[in-house]
Amino acid sequence: MIISGFGETGQRKLNVAHVVVAGIGGLGSPASSYLAAAGVGHLTIIDSQRVELSNLNRQVLHWGPDVGRLKVESATEKLTAINSNIKVDAIFEQITSENVDQLTKGVDAVVDGMDNYPTRYLLNEACVQNRVPFIHGAVEGLVGQLMTILPGGRPCLKCAIPKEPPKKPLFSVLGATPGVIGCLQAMEAIKLITGMGKPLVGRMLIFNGMDMNFDEIEVNRDPSCQVCSRQNR
Amino acid sequence: MAITVKFFAGFREATGKRQASIEGVNNITSLLDELVRRFGEKLAEQLYSSNTRELRKTVNILVNGRRLDFLQEFNTPLKDGDEVAIFPPVAGG
Repeated sequence: MIISGFGETGQRKLNVAHVVVAGIGGLGSPASSYLAAAGVGHLTIIDSQRVELSNLNRQVLHWGPDVGRLKVESATEKLTAINSNIKVDAIFEQITSENVDQLTKGVDAVVDGMDNYPTRYLLNEACVQNRVPFIHGAVEGLVGQLMTILPGGRPCLKCAIPKEPPKKPLFSVLGATPGVIGCLQAMEAIKLITGMGKPLVGRMLIFNGMDMNFDEIEVNRDPSCQVCSRQNR
Repeated sequence: MAITVKFFAGFREATGKRQASIEGVNNITSLLDELVRRFGEKLAEQLYSSNTRELRKTVNILVNGRRLDFLQEFNTPLKDGDEVAIFPPVAGG
């Protein structure tokens, strides 16, 4: 591949990398597909749900005949078909405060494919404590947001969004929106692993598909943040 | 000098602007009052619950990239040159 800063060395780095994709839905589907296609050698995918018909507009790793199957099972099949040289570990579990450490420790990056803030905050905290890059993404309608959280005194998800937005019983997502954000999450992971470019740290990218523009919000670390202020080196 | 307010997502639709320059306000409360005065009911609806004057929990405000001080919240002081971002975080995946 002729991309500046990538080359054979970059490909080798991807080959020995281990990325966790937490949630294999609208964000996790495109993110894991591009990570698999790029040659990330080891993917761990975590999800506790089964495929539903209403998922199919955006969760592009799951197809009509997969309705009723475990998402991790359906996704593993497709990801290994995209790239048979990679290892995919499928974990059919809910992410909790009990298992989050064990699921994220020692990996090269964690991709946020969750649909709720309590679990995102668990992942954020575990990643900050275990010094693992966390690539946050979220979507609704035609709006998406993205931010990369790196350990070492950089702002975390709690610095940007201190309080969980109220839960909505139902919200709609145009499938292409998580397509955009999930691809960008994969790109951030690939950049971090290979050492290319500048990660989206200290800024949140907001995608507005309605007007078709991207904006950045500056995010600084809150010195009193209960999550990342304990990790300031 | 003034305070620059940047609007995102629904707030941009409600104000019709990406950003606004506001003068003569000294804290978050007076800034929000001025924004509602300038941009009207459509923005007020996005900011506040319909029955109360309480800020909706969907509204996230950062001042110079920092979340509102936990202790001062709406009394968080503002000064010329500050940049305030108002956005509704999304949650889905």
